[in-house]
Amino acid sequence: MMTKVIRKVAGSRWVQSPNWFWSFVLATLVSVVAYVFNLALSEVDPGNIWGISYGTAASILMAGAGLYAARRRTLKFRGLGKSFSWVQFHVYGGALAFILVLMHTGFRLPAGPMNWLLWILSVWVTLTGLVGIGLQKWIPRILASGLAVEVVYERIPELVQQIKSQTEELIETCSEPVRDFYRKNLAPALVNPQSRFIYYIDITGGIQSRMVEFNYLRRFLSSSEKDALERLEAAYKTKLELDAHYTLQKALRWWLYTHVPPSLVLLLLIIFHLYAVLYY
Amino acid sequence: MAEQRNIGLTEIKRVEQYKDRWTSFGANTGIIEISEKLTPAQLRKFEIFQEYDDQFLERISPDISIARWKKTTMLFEEGSYIDIAFFLVNGSVDVYLEKQRAHSSGPIFDSSRTVLSLGTEPLQKGQARGADRTVFQMKSEQEERRGREKGSKEITFLSVMDFDIPSGGVIRLGPGEIFGEIGALSGWPQSVTAKTVSQCDLVQIRVPALRLMRRKSNALKSRIDKVYKERSLLAQLKATPLFRGVSEEFVKALCQKVELVSCDPDEVITKEGEYPDAFYIVRSGFVKLSQRLGEGQVVVSYLSKGSTLGETELLIDGTKGWLYTASSKEYTELVKISREDYQQIVASYPMIEKSLWSSVVARLKEAGYNKRNIGQSEFIDTALNAGLVEGNSILVIDLNVCTRCDDCVRGCADTHGGIPRFVREGDKYENFIITRACIHCQDPVCLVGCPTGAIRRAAVGDVVEIVDSLCIGCQTCAKNCPYDAIVMHPTKELWPDNMIPEGLRGKERMLATKCDLCYSSTAGPACVSSCPHHCAFRVSNIGEFQQLLAKG
Repeated sequence: MMTKVIRKVAGSRWVQSPNWFWSFVLATLVSVVAYVFNLALSEVDPGNIWGISYGTAASILMAGAGLYAARRRTLKFRGLGKSFSWVQFHVYGGALAFILVLMHTGFRLPAGPMNWLLWILSVWVTLTGLVGIGLQKWIPRILASGLAVEVVYERIPELVQQIKSQTEELIETCSEPVRDFYRKNLAPALVNPQSRFIYYIDITGGIQSRMVEFNYLRRFLSSSEKDALERLEAAYKTKLELDAHYTLQKALRWWLYTHVPPSLVLLLLIIFHLYAVLYY
Repeated sequence: MAEQRNIGLTEIKRVEQYKDRWTSFGANTGIIEISEKLTPAQLRKFEIFQEYDDQFLERISPDISIARWKKTTMLFEEGSYIDIAFFLVNGSVDVYLEKQRAHSSGPIFDSSRTVLSLGTEPLQKGQARGADRTVFQMKSEQEERRGREKGSKEITFLSVMDFDIPSGGVIRLGPGEIFGEIGALSGWPQSVTAKTVSQCDLVQIRVPALRLMRRKSNALKSRIDKVYKERSLLAQLKATPLFRGVSEEFVKALCQKVELVSCDPDEVITKEGEYPDAFYIVRSGFVKLSQRLGEGQVVVSYLSKGSTLGETELLIDGTKGWLYTASSKEYTELVKISREDYQQIVASYPMIEKSLWSSVVARLKEAGYNKRNIGQSEFIDTALNAGLVEGNSILVIDLNVCTRCDDCVRGCADTHGGIPRFVREGDKYENFIITRACIHCQDPVCLVGCPTGAIRRAAVGDVVEIVDSLCIGCQTCAKNCPYDAIVMHPTKELWPDNMIPEGLRGKERMLATKCDLCYSSTAGPACVSSCPHHCAFRVSNIGEFQQLLAKG
């Protein structure tokens, strides 16, 4: 049963590199076997040779996983391997590190404020890491499938301003009903990029429902006015798609704030923890 | 004529090569005198302009100059891209092969690379593709393949040479001769080196003017075509797989009968339903084939260098009209063989007929499939517009996987002194974005007209690079690029006060930048190796892109 599940995961789109995945599975198995052996021979204690080994391995893996952040800032050094390999180590190494932390504590809750802090941060960093993986698998797929527009996040405000000035130019040539419709329904939405929660639930639904507003007005317009309205409609649709990108790409960026700073704190506390253990 | 300028005063070494827009393409600046912006009366003194009216000559005058060159000056080198044709007024010019013939006669086009393959097998997970290989590896693979396929019918030698010179041979050109026009008009590299033997007076005509002149004057068109037929068509047709095994006399006779057709972009060559009067071979460029569907036209296939058109209509009995509307995608050159000549060829050489039947079957199969599958037709249209057909290395990104982290752009910028060579924008097709990174075209039009030769083939694989130290920021390459892949960047440097040309003096220097495939690094393109999610790929042809699409 367990083997079946692992094989299914290995073949899914969640696993980009089967080699890295199977290496992780193997390393985890080795760790579990060592832990069972440990249980058979002696009590699990963070302070004995077994416990220190788990802790040391976890610390090394965490430090290695943390190096990915440094790698992203040193891309010009081409001989340091592909970013993909670094990310794979970051993900699998980080996951294995958490398993080793649990072994280090003997799957028990820690004692003392420092140990609690380390433990909570380890759980937090691992959980936010998993959430990040989830977001990185989910959001690109819905952005690619549901939207016609593809855009660089940093350019969204500039593009929204472009749309705004184009529509303002266009509206000068339109009759009063269209202008009125623009002022009440469209102008407020074109001011700046807007985040909306609905894009997380249904990336196209939110846009389609807003486009319905144009249908009633269209009935009363001449053919030339209809053309102008269609151009307005197209511009507005593009703006809403930009909003969808803004909302979801922002999530991909903001998630990092929940993961990276705690990771740095965790690494610093690990150094302090090691110093304290060695000193005392 | 204007006085010769003292270029020795120029502070920047590269500017020594840049006398003005007319003389800059060569490594030497051996011009004694040059005059431009000539009046119609001045132009009409030369035989080549005599049949044009004043209005027309006024129009083309900015693209014409008269230059007096020193003796033993190199006009252009073999392999260089120029946008000028020369008309020799006085003196003599030698054209010869500087490099090994083996190099220049190598197939510059392998039609198998751009064949649209139906039902391509998807790549296996983890299988190496272009993105994982360095350009050095790609080059050796290409050479190996070319060697292996030498003599294969997939290789076409059409349009390689504009002079049929035996190894070690020299052709001396005299007054009244025109040269350089084939490479200039087609955007091909020059196949020979040209050097003045004595002091020469040359009329130098830039491509836009030459195109207009040829279009307006049947006499000039015939003259250029005649020169082309005499100098190179025979050798090219003989080397074309279609005519392999055909007697030399027959090909010689055919050379005199064929018509050379030049098309502007989007020009209709054949119209669906009209009487099929000829058979065509594509010399350069791309031709889009479409068919009527409802009220519109649906793209069913395309032709590239070496492809043929008309075999279906001329071979199948009872076909009353063209099955396709064929239109040029860009400047395209074709060889047109009349229906009668074509029928004579087929009747005389059964093996040609056999080969053409295979082509008929493949074309009908492809066109039929694509017409019934609109998605496939849309794919071809996108591929033609986005350069998937023309390119040798196209950066595509799988948006299903891309987290929009921009590490590809950052990696590119970090590798190139902080200036990225592409932006993560472009045409979207299904879940892929075809970025506006340089695609390293098979026929790079950006090379044509560069006044300093700063943009060039890097002599590694198919890489086109810009040498920063030679770029004067004139934007010619950026304007020529049909894919918006060349971006002008301002630098903080100002041109010196004695800069030639005068227009640049004191102005901020701009620099043209584009992807160079990171060819100097063994780690491959930075955009691909910097991608943390394995979603940036370099594809070298349309088939590889189809494989990526099939993988999903």
